[in-house]
Amino acid sequence: MVVSMPASDNLRLEAADIHSYIFDAELPRRRAGSWGDSAEKVLRYGSFVGSSLECHTRLGRAMEHARLHIDSEEKRGWSVQSGRVILAGTLTGSKGRFTRSWHAPEGGLWGCLLHGTTLTAPSTLLLSLALGVAACEAIRQMGVRDCAVRWVNDVLVKGEKVAGFLVESHTGPRWKEIFHLIGFGINVNNQVFPKELESWAASISQALGASVNLPDFTLDFIAKLAWNIGLLYYIEARYPDWWEDPSEHCHPVLARWRKLSDTLGQRVVFGYDVIEKPQFSARVAGVSSEGGLRLVLDDGREITEYSGEIRYI
Amino acid sequence: MSNEIDFDELLGKYKSDPYDYIDVFSIHTGAVTFTINEGDEVDAASGEWRHIPGTTLYEINRERNPKPVSSKINGTISYLNRELDGSFVEAGEKLMTIRHPLKKKEIIEGILKKVLYLFPAPERAKYFFAMDIQSRIEKKGARSVSIAPGDEILTMSLMKRDTPIYYQGEPGVIHSVYFDPGVSVDQGSPLIGVCASDKVSMIQKIITRVKADWDTDH
Repeated sequence: MVVSMPASDNLRLEAADIHSYIFDAELPRRRAGSWGDSAEKVLRYGSFVGSSLECHTRLGRAMEHARLHIDSEEKRGWSVQSGRVILAGTLTGSKGRFTRSWHAPEGGLWGCLLHGTTLTAPSTLLLSLALGVAACEAIRQMGVRDCAVRWVNDVLVKGEKVAGFLVESHTGPRWKEIFHLIGFGINVNNQVFPKELESWAASISQALGASVNLPDFTLDFIAKLAWNIGLLYYIEARYPDWWEDPSEHCHPVLARWRKLSDTLGQRVVFGYDVIEKPQFSARVAGVSSEGGLRLVLDDGREITEYSGEIRYI
Repeated sequence: MSNEIDFDELLGKYKSDPYDYIDVFSIHTGAVTFTINEGDEVDAASGEWRHIPGTTLYEINRERNPKPVSSKINGTISYLNRELDGSFVEAGEKLMTIRHPLKKKEIIEGILKKVLYLFPAPERAKYFFAMDIQSRIEKKGARSVSIAPGDEILTMSLMKRDTPIYYQGEPGVIHSVYFDPGVSVDQGSPLIGVCASDKVSMIQKIITRVKADWDTDH
């Protein structure tokens, strides 16, 4: 279960630590909420997250490392464990979407989760939202109360980005199994940003005015991922007809996202690549049952977008 | 991809009947009320983002939840199943047919779609070319870019999740691109049209012929 790799100075975690944290710390919190005894079932569905762990002092790109890991395991005739988390103390070749840079120095939480795509298509639509919810919950747990999710899953504190995700699919070369490579970057204790990022990036420690115990935060973030991804599986198993008419209910991941997001009601500029090619401005009317962004255009018409990004204006 | 194309027959067909006939089906079960009559002209969706709905064709009411359904294309109502007006229908029941007048560009596209291999969108999402393909297109143009089965040609983007799309189909060059990177493509709609390298000149001949034979744009 535990894969030992050279650990960075601030990340000496093992998979067993994650498992213990999920059931000893996260479960009582969730049980005490509205989920009661069902909380354990949800976490059992999600506990594959972090079931194996690699910690590195330094990597180029965690997602590239994950890709190579899948390819090499399959070429050896082995199957790849879903839920493996790859962490790095620093990333030297990290990038954001498109050609954007992502600064990943020491002090942040940088990594990738390998997720075998066993969710149905509609649940997969909510996966991206679940990631933002997990990061926002973990950051709030540290005491940053004014952090919020911006559609789809950026996490901001007072308008400055603290956490972001990149999800890419990768097909194994031999078994053709499809994985989501869930790349995450969270500014935890790093405080210095390159000039081009200075005005819109921040870290948790800046927001708190104090440094954060990185391993503790890491455990909590992974446990929150386990919960929110677990919810996607739990709902599929418990309510097989859920997606036949999704407008009839509100998925718990979506409900939580709505509570943690400050996107609803905002005036935004929308674009597939909103920085390089902004397309139009609109007001956010809501989020559809599948996670699409409902936008009211200036002429009063409403459209729903499932792909793209926004900036508040 | 067809090897033998009878251009004369194909063009003759378009000349004698330059229309497309689009059947309209009920989107789900419910009571249908028509809002148009046979012979009426209808408009397509319009606006920069195709967000202004076209002419309302019918309203369908299920469990006191009425839903107006609008035309996606312009034309004339050439057939209306009037018997269904006010009655309960199943999902997918044929309600009417719209006769859509074809433009020269649409005729060319229609013919090309018969002779090219069309690679469909696997899901409703936004698509963009894989970086390698994009850079080759920028350098030499799409029609110089050869692709073969198994090549990573596109990235599908949905809810900030990017999935590489591998080409499955006949090897050839990318002749037509049917998507715009910023606009969602419906599942099953063609993304690209691929033509065997040795047939590019034949395709060009079709286009030239249509342009010459079709003297007006409508």
